[in-house]
Amino acid sequence: MLRIECPCCGLRDHDEFRYGGDASVMRPAHDDPDPQAWYRYVYIRANPAGLHREFWQHVIGCRQWLVVERDTRNHAIASVELARQLSARKSPARKPPA
Amino acid sequence: MASPDFSLSVADCPLIQVDGWDGALGQFESSLSASLGTKLPASVGETVRQKGLLVIRVAPRRLWLALDDGIEAPSLAVDPDLGCSVSLDEGRVRFRMAGADVAWVVSKCITVDWRAPAAAPGRAVLTSLHHVPVLFLRTGDTACELIVPRSFSQSLSDWISGLDC
Amino acid sequence: MSSNHKRLSMGGRIDREQPVEFTFDGRSLIGYRGDTLASALLANGVTLVGRSFKYHRPRGIFSAGPEEPNALVTLATAGKREPNLPATTLELADGIVAESQNRWPSLAFDVQSVSGLFAPFLSAGFYYKTFMGPTRRAWMFYEHFIRKAAGLGRAGSDPDPDRYDISQAFADVAIVGGGPAGLSAARAAAAAGARVALIEQDFLLGGQLLAEPSDSAAAAWLRQAEAELESSETVTLMKRTTAFGIYDGNVIGLVEQRDPTNPQLAGEARQTFTMLRARSIVFATGAIERPMVFSNNDRPGVMLASAARTYLNRFAVLPGKKIIVATTNDSAWRAVFDLADAGADVTVADLRAAPPAALAAEAARLGVVVRAGTHIVDLRGGHAVRRATLNGPDGQSEASCDLVCVSGGWSPTVHLTSHLGVKPQYHDDIGGFVPGAFPADRFGAGSMMGNYSTAGAIEDGHRAGTEAASFCGKSAPAPTPSKLDLGETATALLFEIPSVGRGKAFVDFQMDVTTGDVELAHREGYESVEHLKRYTTLGMGTDQGKTSNFAALASMATLRNATIPETGATTFRPPYTAVALGALAGRAIGHHFKPIRRTPMDGWHMANGAEMLEVGLWMRPYFYRQSGLDVNEAYVAEMRSVRQAAGLMDISTLGKIDVQGPDAAIFLDRIYANGFAKLPVGRARYGVMLRDDGIVFDDGTTTRLAENRFFMTTSTAKAADVLSRLEFLLDTAWPDLRVAVTSVSDEWAAMSVAGPKSRAILSAAFPALDVSDAALAHMGLLESEWQGRALRILRLSYSGERAYEIYVGATAGEQLWTHLLEAGRPFDLKPYGVEALGALRVEKGHVAGPEIDGRTTLDDLGLGRMAGKRTGFVGDVLRRRPAFQAPDRQRLVGLECIEEGKRLRGGAILFLPDEKPYGHGHGRVTSVTFSPERGHYVGLALLAGDVASEGSEVVAVYPMKAETVRARIVSPVFLDSQGERLHG
Repeated sequence: MLRIECPCCGLRDHDEFRYGGDASVMRPAHDDPDPQAWYRYVYIRANPAGLHREFWQHVIGCRQWLVVERDTRNHAIASVELARQLSARKSPARKPPA
Repeated sequence: MASPDFSLSVADCPLIQVDGWDGALGQFESSLSASLGTKLPASVGETVRQKGLLVIRVAPRRLWLALDDGIEAPSLAVDPDLGCSVSLDEGRVRFRMAGADVAWVVSKCITVDWRAPAAAPGRAVLTSLHHVPVLFLRTGDTACELIVPRSFSQSLSDWISGLDC
Repeated sequence: MSSNHKRLSMGGRIDREQPVEFTFDGRSLIGYRGDTLASALLANGVTLVGRSFKYHRPRGIFSAGPEEPNALVTLATAGKREPNLPATTLELADGIVAESQNRWPSLAFDVQSVSGLFAPFLSAGFYYKTFMGPTRRAWMFYEHFIRKAAGLGRAGSDPDPDRYDISQAFADVAIVGGGPAGLSAARAAAAAGARVALIEQDFLLGGQLLAEPSDSAAAAWLRQAEAELESSETVTLMKRTTAFGIYDGNVIGLVEQRDPTNPQLAGEARQTFTMLRARSIVFATGAIERPMVFSNNDRPGVMLASAARTYLNRFAVLPGKKIIVATTNDSAWRAVFDLADAGADVTVADLRAAPPAALAAEAARLGVVVRAGTHIVDLRGGHAVRRATLNGPDGQSEASCDLVCVSGGWSPTVHLTSHLGVKPQYHDDIGGFVPGAFPADRFGAGSMMGNYSTAGAIEDGHRAGTEAASFCGKSAPAPTPSKLDLGETATALLFEIPSVGRGKAFVDFQMDVTTGDVELAHREGYESVEHLKRYTTLGMGTDQGKTSNFAALASMATLRNATIPETGATTFRPPYTAVALGALAGRAIGHHFKPIRRTPMDGWHMANGAEMLEVGLWMRPYFYRQSGLDVNEAYVAEMRSVRQAAGLMDISTLGKIDVQGPDAAIFLDRIYANGFAKLPVGRARYGVMLRDDGIVFDDGTTTRLAENRFFMTTSTAKAADVLSRLEFLLDTAWPDLRVAVTSVSDEWAAMSVAGPKSRAILSAAFPALDVSDAALAHMGLLESEWQGRALRILRLSYSGERAYEIYVGATAGEQLWTHLLEAGRPFDLKPYGVEALGALRVEKGHVAGPEIDGRTTLDDLGLGRMAGKRTGFVGDVLRRRPAFQAPDRQRLVGLECIEEGKRLRGGAILFLPDEKPYGHGHGRVTSVTFSPERGHYVGLALLAGDVASEGSEVVAVYPMKAETVRARIVSPVFLDSQGERLHG
């Protein structure tokens, strides 16, 4: 039973979450017409033996989508962050108005 | 069902849900706080009691206002640039549970540590009961409530009642 | 023989004031409260308790714990059979009916013991080598008899009458093992301020301390420790509880047995499966004594030295009067002295040439015969041992005996520690495997770590408990532990297999594996310990090799001329001991297997003739019994009723999502293949969502309630998936969109009135509302109130008839339903179920779940025009990939059955008329119904686009029922192709 530390709700059993796949892949912009970019996003995966960045949604709790770094060899979880906060750090132009 | 050591009763549970936009949260919360006349719970799992209702934070930008029995919903005008609201009057019921055995019953139903600070009186914990998402509210030393989706109400009260025989 | 003739009149931890009646193999016997079944049997002189797995050799009680390989019994109490229970851990209670296993017609005279004569044919790996001819099928013939001959207990086939339960628990420090190390750890952790759970599989705390006399210093120490822990508010003592597995996150799987001696608990769960979530774990699981390997070492009357001592001191049973103790180490001498003290005639055969002088001196004082440098070579005695052949410095000799105690050293019980990948390491100085390096949140103490003295275990436990508490941030200083020194001498654990006689020398008693089998495996190249295990089956029984692993490993190491670490060890996996499946299920059985979801009108359906159907978690009306004798008759009648007059359907199970915000319209435009941003307020639109890979995900109807507010419906099955998907896109892809999505599925009761009379019925039901076509056009919305609740009426159709979907607050659902039926009575309004619902939409050519099956695109389903020239929505780019445009891509067609009296079936495979019907065919039938309109079966199908066109014939093949039916390809819209009925 993996125990995942949700930033909002605390340490929870993994069966409170829904797995959402690889979080390290770049999702193209909604109107990006390039089939190669979409193909890479949907199908190409690194599948590392080691730390894997992946999405989990806390469906039984706050329903936030999280980015978890999990070691695929032993399930040790190195970090858990809100996906939204990661996006915020990526695009500083999006800072909220005062 | 009731015995001196455990009782379960079911009641309606009208809620109002409010959401603040990411980026306008501060303004949204000051405005809401002013409308309600109370400060808001700061983090997920905290609650604040106001006359006639309990304010519960269920997600970083989402709050539930749980109305006490018979209370009329307050009229809330939410500025659409700051957030939105939806009334959830009908979709949930409350299971009120109390008695000396309540902690034991709860340990067989939900994964909540009765003795932890996160489950102390006044705290709310989102959890699951027999695979169904519910909200646990600790209301006293030997009392708590579960807010349960209406469509699962009969199945889950049967599930809990099955313990006590 | 009088009852309990081997029981001492004093001592032990049994309650002579509470006799317990039980039955073994039909014999009524008496034991006492505090006995196990094994101790009570031994007290009554029962030495033969079972027959071995393969050779049907007579076997007796070997140990005093869960490591027991031989004494497995079946409990046949209260209408239930439970096989393979170790008699050594079965707490004796009134009314127990136990049977020995694997023998016929009786334990004493077992016909299959002659299989011993066939032993050469039954050696390791026999099923790969013998019984292989004369034909290739011969093995299947022999296997039938061999399978019947082998085995242990026989399972029952009646439903399990017992209740089980599941529980969730939490602790700071979990301590596995209630012996001296575990008790000491618990005291230290509790004193440091931690919340402690102490787990012990026995019904008494104490572990190895229970082998000490009950009036000793050890017993006093135990009483004090127990009292202290029982009075602590932060310590939970879990006796009768086995930790069977350690899982990620320091979650421990526990099974707790109900106290069988307490009749007040009889109605409670027999076993409770608890998931204990601990912040840190202390493993104090002790060690298991090793047997010695010599010919016929499996005879009844051979037992572990520490077991004999336990039976003597804990249960006041003297299992023999003429005892030989064969050992390689000091620890067995404690059994020697206690047995001699109790009046037995004891001989020690110590493999060591010079055992410690202090021991020899004490032996002399007690009149014990010491034979140094001596080991047992062979034993004689069928149902009970009577004679040993010894080999010593003076050559071979014979000695008579009625009990043989063996001790080949100790194996630390490391199983749980290795469940999460901490590999055991062999230490020469300990002579056994101990855990490798622990991660920061796990600790070990006591004999499990190779600390075999009691004093050492107590100190070690104290350290581990303190460290485990400190890991949790609890470090109030713990007082130093009270000492207990039992004078044990440090002992190097030597393990050797000296010479054996000609008879079988067993390495694994339960699986009947001998040293000969290990040698055979080695000769045939199965040298690695993993191959050895699987080739010989050693360690694969219910005891999982607890008393056999080390001997086999040492044996193979010797044959390979390798060290023990070089030979390796197999991996331990949960469960440590057997767990009843019932315990894992808990109360989630029968109709509680999954939660049941009911609509607001469920009560009405149940009371008014509905045959209910499980649709996922929901209960929905399948058909109404007043419509017909069975589903096939009923759905056709209900279809007719809808098409000719009107029907009322409960559609409350649809997923419903509230979508709000200044960017809601933009959001919908991105997630639907067709556009929504320009949908006028008060209008609804059918929408289709794609996945990122271009495949159709779900369909539904979304209504615009206001500029920034939409009411989305999804299919029942995909409601949760759709909501998660929307939240995913908002949280990770488009976080700057100001949109809130909320499930409102349970807020609304929803029902559909469909049929030519539907408008008239609505008018009658809502006289104050204007439901004319002018006020409520097709795909329009009307909002109002009913009985003080919000009311929404949407004019849209799933069946192809004029229809309205009516939504009202859930608490008013049943009321509105009956109101509509009342208003509709003059118009012949009747309720209809999901079978008719599905049939109507098939007749109308609407795609649903069977077509939207995760493999089809918009174009496949004939919905390509929905996207038109739009771009920028989810799935748009990859749906255009060349593979999806291939001419042989399977596309939606309609089929009508052209053979009189025959029917189409969903799942049938489509072939051309002149083809042989083998292989994948050219497509498949997805949905079918009898069409009252057409008078024959019709269906929707997916058929390769380049194979046949409208008007051609195909053949639908259904191999499961050997059916072949001819059908014609037609338009999928089987009636009213102009859609006139929607406005009729």
